[in-house]
Amino acid sequence: MKKNYHLTLTDILVTTVIALVFGVIYKLWGPLYYALKPLGLHLEQIIYGMWFIASTVAYLLLRKPGVALLAEVAAASAEFLIGSEWGLAALLAGLIQGAGAELVFAAFGYRKYSVGVAMVAAAAATAGSLVMDSLQGYIGDLAFWNLALLIGLRLIGAIFIAGYMAHRLVGALEKTGVTSLVRPLYDQSTEMK
Amino acid sequence: MQNVSSHTEASAPAAEISGLHLQFPRQVARLFRNLSLKIRRNENTLLLGPSGSGKSTLLKVLTGLIPEVIEMPLRCEHCSTFDNWGYVFQDPDSQFCMPFVDEEIAFVLENRALPTEDMPEFILHYLNLVGLEFDEPHRPIETLSQGQKQRLALASALALEPETLVLDEPTALLDPGGTEMIWEKVRGLSEDKTLLIVEHKIEEMIDFIDRVLVLDDQGQLIIDASPDQISQKHQYLLDQYGIWHTRSWPNYDSKRSNRLKLSENSTDNKNPQPVLKIDHLEGYRDETKLLEMPALDIYPGEWIALTGPNGAGKSTLLLALMQLIDQKGDVLFCGENVESTEQVAADIGFVFQNPELQFVAQSAREEVIFTLHQQCPEINGSEVPRRSRETLKQYGLHKVAAQNPYQLSTGQQRRLSIAATTVKKRKLLLLDEPTFGQDAVNTFAILEQLEKYRQSGTAILMATHDLAIVQRFATRWWKIADGKLKFDRPGQRLENSRTEDIHAI
Amino acid sequence: MLYNSTYTSWLHRVNPVTKLLLMLAGIIAILFIQNVNVMFPLTAALIVLVLAGSGHPRSRVMLLMLPFLFVFFSTSTSMIFFGKGSTLWWHWGIVQITRESFYRGIHVGLRALCFGLMGLLFVLTTRPVLLFYSLMRQLRLPPKYAYGFMASVRLLPLIMSEFRTLRQAYKVKGVQVSKNLNGMMQALHLYAIPLLAQSIRRAQRIAVAMEARRFNNQADRTYYYRIGFSKADIILIICWAAIFLGSWLLGWHLPVISITDVRLNG
Repeated sequence: MKKNYHLTLTDILVTTVIALVFGVIYKLWGPLYYALKPLGLHLEQIIYGMWFIASTVAYLLLRKPGVALLAEVAAASAEFLIGSEWGLAALLAGLIQGAGAELVFAAFGYRKYSVGVAMVAAAAATAGSLVMDSLQGYIGDLAFWNLALLIGLRLIGAIFIAGYMAHRLVGALEKTGVTSLVRPLYDQSTEMK
Repeated sequence: MQNVSSHTEASAPAAEISGLHLQFPRQVARLFRNLSLKIRRNENTLLLGPSGSGKSTLLKVLTGLIPEVIEMPLRCEHCSTFDNWGYVFQDPDSQFCMPFVDEEIAFVLENRALPTEDMPEFILHYLNLVGLEFDEPHRPIETLSQGQKQRLALASALALEPETLVLDEPTALLDPGGTEMIWEKVRGLSEDKTLLIVEHKIEEMIDFIDRVLVLDDQGQLIIDASPDQISQKHQYLLDQYGIWHTRSWPNYDSKRSNRLKLSENSTDNKNPQPVLKIDHLEGYRDETKLLEMPALDIYPGEWIALTGPNGAGKSTLLLALMQLIDQKGDVLFCGENVESTEQVAADIGFVFQNPELQFVAQSAREEVIFTLHQQCPEINGSEVPRRSRETLKQYGLHKVAAQNPYQLSTGQQRRLSIAATTVKKRKLLLLDEPTFGQDAVNTFAILEQLEKYRQSGTAILMATHDLAIVQRFATRWWKIADGKLKFDRPGQRLENSRTEDIHAI
Repeated sequence: MLYNSTYTSWLHRVNPVTKLLLMLAGIIAILFIQNVNVMFPLTAALIVLVLAGSGHPRSRVMLLMLPFLFVFFSTSTSMIFFGKGSTLWWHWGIVQITRESFYRGIHVGLRALCFGLMGLLFVLTTRPVLLFYSLMRQLRLPPKYAYGFMASVRLLPLIMSEFRTLRQAYKVKGVQVSKNLNGMMQALHLYAIPLLAQSIRRAQRIAVAMEARRFNNQADRTYYYRIGFSKADIILIICWAAIFLGSWLLGWHLPVISITDVRLNG
């Protein structure tokens, strides 16, 4: 069966729902970490990767172009619509971050689904988030050591969560049988690499 | 009511397939092998079969949803699907796409490209057809009961003005009241439409069925007959496949009285201590009081059925006893005050209503072993796998021991969650509607296992909708409504067993 | 959703797309503002607009604004304590508050606050479904995205109640999660897998149900709701322009602080 590159209604719903699930998890755990923010040591950056995990999981699961970007935009839109304190900026951030991940998957021709690809995508999404933050002026003028700490922690956290963990999660999802419902037929024989 | 099906039916069949081969992705076995059947116009057809026989899949093939919407490897010699059909799915929570009732119907009208001005009138029309006469149709779907939601689904299907209505176990997740209402409405439509229905509870709808098709567990069509012929010649098949029909319980009763003895004195102890003492328990959810219970004692070997309408507080009671929700009042377990869930998690077994949310392991076997590791420190070494094998066998799960719990059917998942809880002998078992939506075979299996535990001294507190279960198994009956206990009566089985004792003499 | 149909105001009649575009313009404008004196009147004006124009009771709105204050503090303190600067005011350990970092911190905090206020204004005055309808009509968003998103949002309450049930079930089973990195991985697995498996299955079923209702992605479908433009749109555009221009003028001609450019040049 020929590969269908278009996003079907099923793809869109599944992607959006993945974004919502991680959004709920983030919302319920996030506040625990956010209390650490004023310490200035940017410990909350470690879980920043939770922002991107939806896009890598969506791609690794559905393996179609566009789902990574859609997942981020969906997560950001949901965040926006519930009146989050980040407002429309969250939406723009989601767009840029999702685009970062999407570009990485595109660079591999949408044919690679390994943990390495996921980690690179996570790094690209992090880069996108840094671009957004610097545009908004949050980080441009921090003292150098502080900035390095922020970037370092965010990057490491994101690669671990949205790269490594995402890959593990999709592997476990495969075992639950959910993939036979949503993954294009031609890919059924390829397990997680 | 019955259309006489004649072999000289002039019009073309509503749908027909021949030589159908179908396979689930990543599965080796074929779901259907060379299946052929014909659905006749203006006839009401019922499709029966054991769980997993692919009835639902067949409906999707006959409507074209497979392979157009759901990609699956399919091959058939000839396949003509229904040309004008509406579909009602099983799960009230997975059918709708809009937040409000009127918007949901409007969605269908939009798909039909109806002019905007005409929509409000049509919306009311379709809602009236299914008996959802709201003053204000713009209400959130969340506020509807499950039965009302399914009727809304029916209205959406009717909004397509279909010639054929396909219903896929529409009452599987409904209580008796909701079930009755749906069939009442469908019965009204049965005259002038073609109906194709898959069901597992046929008691209330068999009257307007003209033709019954039965699939076996290999996906083969084994019977094509009228409802009368089914109940006269093939009733054993209905029981074998776990289909609920009028004689399900009577048939079970006559089989059972030969097997299980209803011994009421499960312990020799003449003055047993109560396993659980409830003293003015109040259950809360977000500051609202949902439940208020007086002083009650539960003794070993009791089987207490907890009934009541939806939202009355049955689940709340169970959760409160386990300290899983906010509460006030005292709960004493074996004489000790219960302060936290952790304190009693080892001795009180809790089975939630949705089994698929409880699995922590990668296989059914490991799921049972998990409990053994966590809560049975005295069992170790080779005893662990042996116990787990034994328990799985008791629940008929030994063949799927290595499978991922999420790959099991709902019946198997339900049995697995009970198995994983009961592998450890508990003094008290709390179960939240363990047989809801289950076929007859699973239901009886679960109930018999529970009866065995009861006879060994475990106390059981079980929420249920099924009065047939209450009549036969409960030693005590609590009814809850509006968060309060309406009555606490001895169970009818005590009366029944005395009658049996009399007959034995 | 924060939107509540019992509270309405003239802002509810404004086309959601108009509000969206105005917000976008506002964000871009704010990103170009470097004079903290402009931010003061702008923030004040936005607060007034939200309190007075949203139609919700003031007490409710103020409660909803609390998290925004938290954001203001956390964003600004980061910059205040650790930003670059030359005129040292106070230091303790690694914390170094300079005149420059202080005002830059305030500026950045006010920026975040303004973004949040604009978002809040939007969310309090827009019915989500109408937003999607106007995106489809006015911005030609393909229906599959609009309806797809609306449909999955319906699953949100279910996801949350399942999350709660999972927590209860794990307590009953005696599942314990260690508080370290391994624990976090374990916890993610324990919650994400069941929630994802259930939700994905449901999402697929809903998609099939929508297709069974003959959903088409065509632009020639009709729409239940008609959203157009009205006088209210024009009034908002004028108000918006007035707020921004007014703040700009006030900021430059009646400055509170002598710093007019919070960016550092060195």
